[in-house]
Amino acid sequence: MSDLGGCASEHCITCSDEGVPMRVLEPGTDGIAVCAGEDDAPCDVLVDLVGTVASGDTLLVHAGVALLRLEEGALR
Amino acid sequence: MKFVDEFRDAELGRVLAGQIAAAVEPGRHYKLMEVCGGHTHTIYKYGVDDLLPANVELVHGPGCPVCVIPMGRVDDAIAVAREPGVIFTCFGDMMRVPGGHGTLLEAKAEGADVRMVYSPLDALRIARENPEREVVFFAIGFETTAPSTALTLMRAKREGIPNFSVFCNHVTIVPPLRALLESPDLRLDGFIGPGHVSTVVGARPFAFIPADYGKPIVVSGFEPLDVLQSVHMILRQLVEGRCEVENQYARVVPYDGNMAALRVLAEVFELRPHFEWRGLGFISHSALRLSAAYAGLDAERRFRVPGVRVADPKACQCGEVLKGVIKPWECKVFGTACTPERPIGTCMVSSEGACAAYYNFGRFAREREVV
Ligand code: SF4
Repeated sequence: MSDLGGCASEHCITCSDEGVPMRVLEPGTDGIAVCAGEDDAPCDVLVDLVGTVASGDTLLVHAGVALLRLEEGALR
Repeated sequence: MKFVDEFRDAELGRVLAGQIAAAVEPGRHYKLMEVCGGHTHTIYKYGVDDLLPANVELVHGPGCPVCVIPMGRVDDAIAVAREPGVIFTCFGDMMRVPGGHGTLLEAKAEGADVRMVYSPLDALRIARENPEREVVFFAIGFETTAPSTALTLMRAKREGIPNFSVFCNHVTIVPPLRALLESPDLRLDGFIGPGHVSTVVGARPFAFIPADYGKPIVVSGFEPLDVLQSVHMILRQLVEGRCEVENQYARVVPYDGNMAALRVLAEVFELRPHFEWRGLGFISHSALRLSAAYAGLDAERRFRVPGVRVADPKACQCGEVLKGVIKPWECKVFGTACTPERPIGTCMVSSEGACAAYYNFGRFAREREVV
């Protein structure tokens, strides 16, 4: 992304007020997990609000914070 | 991607559109407001409104966090960014929002150290890496992004990072909705409720809308089928004479909210007595500031902030757009003097802003032909 920001993409990540489903790649330590979204780019996510996470969990992430764990069976 | 693809199925969309068409009463006009900019983005990206009958109109509400920041607060941010030794960090969109004296991007071009971050945690990392500099984070957003700022502040306090502070502009969702509902020029039949804010606050805080104002609200997800289903649920309430809070996004939104996030917000923030909203004026108890326990990390206490109120440019009609009184393309400067490259108003900056959503997805050309 350019330094200008702009968000013609899937969602507005530059104001970060968007819940993005992300996959846990590494649970990490000290409340920070490495996660990836649709673009597979790894990034740090604070998981203080969702407790212990495991690789493969899907989290709803806002501005770098996981707000909740998404349960597969709860979709429909 | 899992959790997403299921909600973009075109065939299911057509089925839902048929159910909506069957639900509406011919001759009655339905005006529904999507509160959240994320819904505006979905509606124009996927052409959701094209699937609706002509008598179902969607209007855009004040839920884009960038769009509601008043010009004076941008000027305050620029003043802090220009302080010697400051590294000023913010989300990308905020760099292009015009204040009365330019944008943060222009301040950067003139020498201020303004850096884009994706989360407040990034700003805290910059503070750790630059102990000789003051690092300020420009916090914006509703109750969705506020937990991120709160958790970062808790970390900063715990780690004793002395050179980190937050210029707090977090806002809350219920007071502006109440202000909108009190507005005499507003005529709405129901609300598509903000799904992401509700992941934190829950659906319960919206109960005042049916109880006090007699309008239905359906908390909605953000995929095209979510929005279509929510429209259908609102119309069914209207047709059946019901008026309540329904939760279409129950797979994500707990009715009572996210208790852990609410606890964190209560520790780090307190309500401001009042806060100015772009286009909506001052609204009581509609924004957050740092609580006494976190006052030492408050940029407004650490730096001199001018705090001058700046009137919107005369040509700007963002207020009317944010209240759903006019469509973006009805603003006189839409697509001419005001474009995403050179925005006059905030609604043209973020892709969740109604004007930018219209502009980016090429909607305005067709709308003008219709006129
Ligand atoms: S076109 Fe520009 S000035 Fe007019 S309402 Fe939209 S953002 Fe505001």
